[in-house]
Formats: sequence, structure tokens, C-alpha cells
Amino acid sequence: MYAYLGAIWNCRFFWLSLVRMDLRSRYRGSMLGIFWSLLHPIAMTAILCVVFSCVFGQDLRTYAPLVFTGLTFWGFLGAALVQGCNCFFLGEPYIRQHPAPMAIYPLRTVLGAAFHSSIALGLAIIIGLLVGPDTQSNPSATRWHQLLALPSLLPTCLLILLFGWSLSILFGLLNVRFRDTRYLVEIGLQGLFYLTPIMYRIDALPFKDKHRLILLLQCNPLVPFLDLIRDPILLGHIPSWTSYALAATVVLVLGTAAMAALWIEERQLIFHL
Amino acid sequence: MARIELEHVDLTFRVRRERRIGLKDFLVKRLFLQSQNPIMEVRALQDINLRIDQGERVAFIGHNGAGKSTMLKLLAGIYQPTGGRRIVEGRVSSLFDLALGFEIEANGWENIAYRSYLQGETPTSVRAKKQAIAEFSELGDFLNMPVRYYSSGMMVRLAFSIATAIEPEILLVDEVLSVGDLAFQQKARERMREMMAKAHLLVVVSHDLDALPYICNRAVWMDHGRIRMMGTCAEVIAAYRSSVGQAAAA
Repeated sequence: MYAYLGAIWNCRFFWLSLVRMDLRSRYRGSMLGIFWSLLHPIAMTAILCVVFSCVFGQDLRTYAPLVFTGLTFWGFLGAALVQGCNCFFLGEPYIRQHPAPMAIYPLRTVLGAAFHSSIALGLAIIIGLLVGPDTQSNPSATRWHQLLALPSLLPTCLLILLFGWSLSILFGLLNVRFRDTRYLVEIGLQGLFYLTPIMYRIDALPFKDKHRLILLLQCNPLVPFLDLIRDPILLGHIPSWTSYALAATVVLVLGTAAMAALWIEERQLIFHL
Repeated sequence: MARIELEHVDLTFRVRRERRIGLKDFLVKRLFLQSQNPIMEVRALQDINLRIDQGERVAFIGHNGAGKSTMLKLLAGIYQPTGGRRIVEGRVSSLFDLALGFEIEANGWENIAYRSYLQGETPTSVRAKKQAIAEFSELGDFLNMPVRYYSSGMMVRLAFSIATAIEPEILLVDEVLSVGDLAFQQKARERMREMMAKAHLLVVVSHDLDALPYICNRAVWMDHGRIRMMGTCAEVIAAYRSSVGQAAAA
């Protein structure tokens, strides 16, 4: 495994330059450039805020940062999954020409997505600081607490990056074997969106504690990641160790699965492209 | 030391007879699938035993579909053997599928960098070589344009210039001698000859039986994924010729 990581490191110039090119070609030719990548979460947040504050009487000051952080994470997840499905086809010409570790192609996709999402995350932090911490849930919190809790996002970002990389590898490989994976993933994502506390908080749901839906939501492996992002930005405290441990477990399980899948598929991937 | 060693190497492709299946088919119709759309095995290479040492120049000949190009890709490490052992020592440079592997939205200079990185160069070494590559390709101002607008000839020119800018220990060539227009072809042939002379080990796949004896000192005749004959260039080519002649006469 160290040899494999070494091989990935050795061709770092290759995949880094591909990531750079992906980003440039995405921003090139539009004055709005980076703003475009933020437009989707901003517009979605605006729509959801209007709907939920008018119809359900949510407080905008706490609701807007909640939705925006959720959508930032969701944007990354969607990109890692949907674009991840295509990653090996995107790299096919290179795969056919030169032997390189296959994991660099999903990595290229994920790093591109991560760059976009980190811009959105920056904006989410700014919004969170402007609005201030949610004093209903955490009465003692001030903006200082928020600022002090921000460094806890660094390990979070690393975890999320590994999470996305593993997912891209798994779904990329699956899509090579079964070409319709991508469409099924898109449908699945749509459903998962409502089962994940993106535009609501679990504790704000009008159900009793033991309700089946609540139990289902608590089993959702995405929840600890959302907590890791939201705790410092919205509540102004460092996430609990439980959240870190849960997220790390999810990453470990998926990462192991991804490595196993690569182990099996790497040698014969080219025959299925 | 450059060295290639193959021991009982097999390469088998597994393909579905009818078409690829989707995840939906796989989940829903799994039970019926085997009978409707069986997996077929294509034995592209069978029981290949071969040893090529430093200094040797080897030609692979044989009819279309005999496994020559597959062999080259196996040596390059793009295909992994499904059985047996493959040992390749030395820095490999391969000249095949030259028109592949361009980022069509990026310009010529950027593509020079990507391809060189893929071949294991670093930013410093690329900077040093860039100019020489550009000059050899004779593409001039076109290098500032996205590769999307290149003709296929221009792409092959650029690819050839990049691929031959390194000093390989092991050089694998698949009939790429027909690159570009007449003038460039001569230049390319010149460069090839230089490279072949410099390479520690050379493997060529070609149908140009007249030219091969000048380049190679050993030949391997492939037939249906197996090695049919191995020996000096002259005797293998003679045997191959007479067998083709008999087939044509019969």
C-alpha cells in the first residue's frame, strides 16, 4: 500500500496539472468565474429561505447558515459521486497510453470538486460570522467562540476529502462495470437529499424521539460530517469527539472498501473501458 | 540494465457476447443472464515465454489480430497478464496510440507539460525540454491554440515530438513510422533511428518486412496469441513469408 501511495505521489505533477486545467477551463471565458460556482448554493439557499420563512415561519438568521452549510457539503458529495462515476472514462486516453495508479483519476475529480466547495465553505464561514452564533441552541456562544472553533474545520476537511475520494473510486469502478450506475446515483442522491438533514435540523422535526424516521436519520452516515461542519460555524463550539469518531469510522470503512475494490479491479479495469 | 522477461504469460479478455449489461440488468435479471448473454473468453496471449536482454532489438511480426499490439501493451504495463510472470526492468517509453491522450481544450504548450509529467518528468525538466519539443514539432504559433483545432496530423506530430524527447532505456514502437507529411516523416524516421540506436532495448511491431532486418537483430513471429517462431530476423521473416505465400497459393 505504501508503494501504491508512493506511485501516486510520484506522478503528482501529472494529476495536479490536470486538476489545474479542469479548474481553469471551468472558470475560463466567464467574467463571473468563481461566482458561478457559488451561484447554485446561493440561489438554492435563497429559495429555501423564502419558502421556509414564509410558509413554516423559520427564523432566517439561524436558517440561512444552516441551509448554506448543508448545501456546501451536499454540492461536494454530489460532485464526488456523479463526476466520480465518469472519472475513469475521462482518464481513458491516459490509461490506454501509460501505466499509472488508477486512484489518481478519481483524485483528480475530487480535488476539483473540493476546490469549488472550499470557496463555498469560505462563504459559509463569512455568513456564519455575520449572522453570529445560534444563541438559542448555545446561549453562551459569541463570535469569538466561532472564530476559535474554526481551526477544527481542518481535520474535518481532510476527512471529507478522503470520504469523497473513496466514494469516487467506488462509484467510478462501478460505473465502468455497469454503465447505468450514474443515472441510478443521480436518482439515489435525490432521495438521499431529503433523508439528510440539509434543509432541516433533526431536533426540529415534529416527531417523538423514538419515531422510526428519527432512528433512520440517526443511522445516516452523512450526519456526523454535517455536524462537523456546522458545530463550529453555526454553534461556535468545537465538534464533539463522537462526531469525529463516527466520521472517521465512515471514512475508514469506505476507504477500506475502495482499496479492496481497486485491488481487485485495477489490473483489469482497462479491459472494461 | 534493461531487461524483459516473460514466463508462461497468459492474457485473457472476458467479454459479454451480446452487449454490456447495466446495474439494473445485473440486479433484476441476474438469474437469466448467463444463458442469454454468456461471457466469452478471448485468449489474446497464451503461454508466452520470452527473454529480451540489454542491447537486443526485437521485431514482432504476424498477421492482424495475432497479438502483436497486445504484446506491446503488456510489455508497457498497460495490460497486466492474467497468468504467468512479467518482469520489465528499465524506464519504458512507448510509441503507440499517439493521437490519444490530449486535453483538447488546453493548448499545445500545456499538453506538452501534461504528457511529459505522465512520462515521469518534473516541472524543471519540462521547462528545459519544452523549446526543443516545440521546435521539433514545427507547430510554431499553433502551440498557443487549443488542441481542439489541430488536424490529426498535427496531433500526431506533437505527440511524437513529446514522446521522443526523453531518453528511454526500453523503447516500444508500434508502426508509428507514418507520422505527418513527407518532410516530417523523414525527420521522424531520423529521430527514430537515433532513438533506436540510443535505447538499451528495442521492441518493434511492424508489417514492413523489408525494413525490419536493418533495424532489428531478432524477430518473433506471433500467431493466434502464441509464439510460432523465434530466431534471427532473416530466418523468421523468410519463414513467415513462405507461410504467407503458401496460404495465398492454396
